[in-house]
Amino acid sequence: MSTVIEVAGLTKRFGKVTAIDDVSFTVQENKIYGLLGRNGAGKTTLMQLLTGQEFATNGSIGVFGRSPVESAQVLDRICFIKESQKYPEDFSVKHVFRSAPWFFGGWDSAFAEQLIADFRIPTDRKVKKLSRGQLSAVGVVVGLASRAPLTFFDEPYLGLDAVSRQIFYDRLLEDYAEHPRTVILSTHLIDEVSNLLEHVIVLDEGRVIIDADAEEVRGSATNVVGARGAVAQFVGGRDVLHSEAIGGLASVTIAAVSPDERRAARAADLELSPVSLQQLIVRTTNSSTKEFEQSA
Amino acid sequence: MTSDTGTVRPVTATAALTRVANVVRLHLTQRSQLLVLPWMILGFIFLVNLVIWWLVLASSAPAELASVSQGMQFSGASTFIFVYMLVVAVQAINVTFPFALGYGVTRRDFYLGSAATFVLLSVYYALGMTLLATIERATAGWGLGGSMFDVVYFGSGTAAQQFALFLLGFLFFFFIGAATAAVYVRWRSRGMLVFFAALTLILVGLSVLATSTASWPLVGEWFARSGALGVAVWSLVPTTLAAVAGFVLLRRATPRN
Repeated sequence: MSTVIEVAGLTKRFGKVTAIDDVSFTVQENKIYGLLGRNGAGKTTLMQLLTGQEFATNGSIGVFGRSPVESAQVLDRICFIKESQKYPEDFSVKHVFRSAPWFFGGWDSAFAEQLIADFRIPTDRKVKKLSRGQLSAVGVVVGLASRAPLTFFDEPYLGLDAVSRQIFYDRLLEDYAEHPRTVILSTHLIDEVSNLLEHVIVLDEGRVIIDADAEEVRGSATNVVGARGAVAQFVGGRDVLHSEAIGGLASVTIAAVSPDERRAARAADLELSPVSLQQLIVRTTNSSTKEFEQSA
Repeated sequence: MTSDTGTVRPVTATAALTRVANVVRLHLTQRSQLLVLPWMILGFIFLVNLVIWWLVLASSAPAELASVSQGMQFSGASTFIFVYMLVVAVQAINVTFPFALGYGVTRRDFYLGSAATFVLLSVYYALGMTLLATIERATAGWGLGGSMFDVVYFGSGTAAQQFALFLLGFLFFFFIGAATAAVYVRWRSRGMLVFFAALTLILVGLSVLATSTASWPLVGEWFARSGALGVAVWSLVPTTLAAVAGFVLLRRATPRN
């Protein structure tokens, strides 16, 4: 498996604000990545840097082995669908789909047609007159039908209803199976896409706090629920990611436990449950991040 | 480490040209807005003018007709189309830039393609205006002694000279629009403020200079001596400067929302 993106010591400052702070990671070919984090964590800025739209203050970015900035060779293989994508004045939806094939070598018109029907996009309508959800759908169709070897979706489904979102997940997975490519998806709806993601990169205040296989992240923590005293005894001196208590019951999130410990927990009448990706990220990005880095 | 899953197009001159041509196609996707609507607006203005000419003629004494016709030489009715092209350039740069970059177009290809589009549109509109001016002259002002296209600023030279004048005029407005929009795309509203403040200062400064050195007559003389075509050829200086400035500014610009 080869490396598609290689980022080292990347920093981006806007005046006094550090949007991306000394970030390093790699992206492997033909995987689906989740770029997760809270608002303002730096997700969009990072995507703009990776697609050559933004200029780095420090550090290096290699995409397909070279800097993406002003490189037609690199950009030819990239499609970047932004949350608030702008369209030329007075473009109708059909103009968007008519012009897209000129820029994406791998564009599949039949697939685009099918997606337009699936999302029920009115092609004769002016882009300006589309609802928020329809606008997102247009971006999703371009992103999927472009079949760009490296596709970025920045919050692709703002305003999309549940049915449309499910269509997006289904079509992405189906098409990805037939035409493997690298997809980087930023989103707030972590649990919804959780099954889609193979790898997650979590940003917090411009820094990468998690960069791991999605399975690994999901297995990296456990919820322990039971009587307060028993829970406290079981947890002992471990790092606690999160804890809450109601009456005599306590629920504590700790790092993954071994099979032996699992048996011990069952014996102590404690319930162990997996932690969802979303819970995990909520907990790590809103409490101290250092503890998690040690345990993960 | 480079992985080639997609079709990697070779970096040849043809490929580079294709990319620029694609940007031209992108600009021309919504054709009616760019190629037809301006003529329709101009047609409407023309019809209004026809009525006015007829009214003027109907209410003028026969002896005054020559001077009336001369007065019409100063019609500004067709200047709208130049301003329209300035707006076209502003929108092409401002709105299409973030869109094209999302499609993986480089800033360089985007600018070259936009510039090529502006040149093509300039030729297209200059041809149309020359044709209308020629008809106007041949029909002695549409049979009413009116002037809308064959007006004094565009000289009364040959059709070729008129074409050159129109062409240079359109190029000027397109690239001034492009450069202004590039300032906005690069620095947003703060850039606009500084830009217009600087422009105002320069213009006021030049006026002060001309007044204090009592050289206004020289300026007037220069315009008179250069003639319409001469002034138009000189416009290539600001046009070229604007075109280069637009390129330099956009090369470091970031699409924002």
